[in-house]
Amino acid sequence: MALQLACFYDVRRMSLITIEQLTKRYGSRLGIDRLNLSVPEGTVYGFLGPNGSGKTTTIRLLLGFLRPSAGRACVFGHDCWSASRLIKSEIGYVPGDLRLHTWMTGRVALQIVGQARGRDLAGKGAELADYFGLEMTVKVIRMSRGMRQKLGLILALVHEPKLLILDEPTTSLDPLTQDRLYDHIRLMARNGHTVFFSSHVLSEVEDLCDRVAILREGRLVTDETIDHLRDRAPRAVTIRWKSGENAEPATPPGMLALRRKIGRVWECDLTGEVTELVAWLAGRSIEDVEISRPNLENLFRQYYRGGDT
Amino acid sequence: MNRGVLLKTFREAWLATLLFGLGFFVFEALLAFVFPTFFDEMAAPMLNLPFFRNIIRALLGAEVGDSLGPQVLGSLAWVHPIALIIVAGHEIVFCTRVPAGEVDRGTMDVLLALPVSRWQMYISETAVWLGTGVVVLIMGLVGCLLGGLSVAPESRTELSLLVRIVANLFCLYLAVGGLAFLVSTLSERRGRAIAVVFALVLSSYFLNVLAQYWDFAEKIAFLSVLHYHRPFAIMQSSAWPVTDMLVLTGCGAVLWTAGGIVFARRDICTS
Repeated sequence: MALQLACFYDVRRMSLITIEQLTKRYGSRLGIDRLNLSVPEGTVYGFLGPNGSGKTTTIRLLLGFLRPSAGRACVFGHDCWSASRLIKSEIGYVPGDLRLHTWMTGRVALQIVGQARGRDLAGKGAELADYFGLEMTVKVIRMSRGMRQKLGLILALVHEPKLLILDEPTTSLDPLTQDRLYDHIRLMARNGHTVFFSSHVLSEVEDLCDRVAILREGRLVTDETIDHLRDRAPRAVTIRWKSGENAEPATPPGMLALRRKIGRVWECDLTGEVTELVAWLAGRSIEDVEISRPNLENLFRQYYRGGDT
Repeated sequence: MNRGVLLKTFREAWLATLLFGLGFFVFEALLAFVFPTFFDEMAAPMLNLPFFRNIIRALLGAEVGDSLGPQVLGSLAWVHPIALIIVAGHEIVFCTRVPAGEVDRGTMDVLLALPVSRWQMYISETAVWLGTGVVVLIMGLVGCLLGGLSVAPESRTELSLLVRIVANLFCLYLAVGGLAFLVSTLSERRGRAIAVVFALVLSSYFLNVLAQYWDFAEKIAFLSVLHYHRPFAIMQSSAWPVTDMLVLTGCGAVLWTAGGIVFARRDICTS
């Protein structure tokens, strides 16, 4: 039976999550459409997309909350729907809209999670509470949103899961706690754990993730390493032309995508090489030029908008 | 079963169970004392009035004839609307917590993220529900016994009869609970689930009452779960109401199993 349920587990690539042609329909609405993904073990995997693009649906399918309409999702080589209980023993999860039982204190929540997982998690829980700066004797009802988020993180991290799934985890955290979470995520990845990370904060994705997938309208638009994306990320270029007749060319060259034109100033994205731009500008009457470092945020925004990348 | 879910469920349920149990205890103690004590002064003359006799007939589900005495009147305590509201209220509140209540509150995500299968979760909830049901009913039984201590021994209901009545009531508890679990698994809003189950139980109650007056209602009275809870008949026959108990337990089991299947197969989405 276990063999029948097991998905193909690529040992060479050590894919922890394998998603094949995964589709989820909500009545006539399509949540995700024929999604294919492979998340290698030990990576911090960014999962991006605008609101309603299907990120949370994918996460819910991975955790067995939802049943696929077609295709399949596997974690640790097991089917996410039929072997949900088994895979969740090695998963930590923080939902995007985290709600905890208001009558619980942090300590009681830890006790319940420990009993459910069949392990004594009090020691590790206290350690994490200390790390994130959370008082565990306070009832959830008296906690601020940020404190609740910290408790959610502690409950997800306390059993040192092989796979950590975070759905917009930093939304209500203060910058100091965000930094602590980032450090913890980096440490986990160094120790071979995998983090599947959905976020709208593009800078944190750029800082943390090894690989990024972007969804739009339920479909995968890209799945690449951050380094590869960075190579393709456009540089923002601002050119101020000298005044006078014929100083400003009629059209930009192919390597420059004109975003905005304000008087004599062009704001563009450079999609080609800097040397090409410099060569093109060499014989022209420019007053000033500013070329930024490659900007992933601009690239993400292009993907989000559905523009040509 | 899962110990974590059991612990969580018990922590959520103990206070409500205690309050419902205390309510049942006080109500049963009060009626066990009031009916025999004031039977001659107040109840007996009133019971000679056709209007009151009709009400009692409707509540007990049978024609009481001349057998009406303080002891038989004691059976009213177990079919009285307040007693039924306490028992049904407890289980409707309990059984609609998971999944409807958890989905409604948005806490289901955290619960489902635990390494617990849905059947395990459902069975753990059920175990606490059965345990708390026993506590509530036993508190009612103890209340009845204590309330009866201050009246003449011949006016008290025998313990063996009370045990049969409470066992029958527990089977009714199973049937209504099974229904509540099924409705809860089909719903994402707890308020809606409570309203549906309450409406069905109320309809069942009225059908049982109307059956005493209306031929058509009598023909379909077997559809009412309260048709199978007849303390007066138990007192008359002194026998275990085996058929009634089996029907109620069977209904409860079928509805509970259907609820479990729905819960194990359905999508769960908190937003």
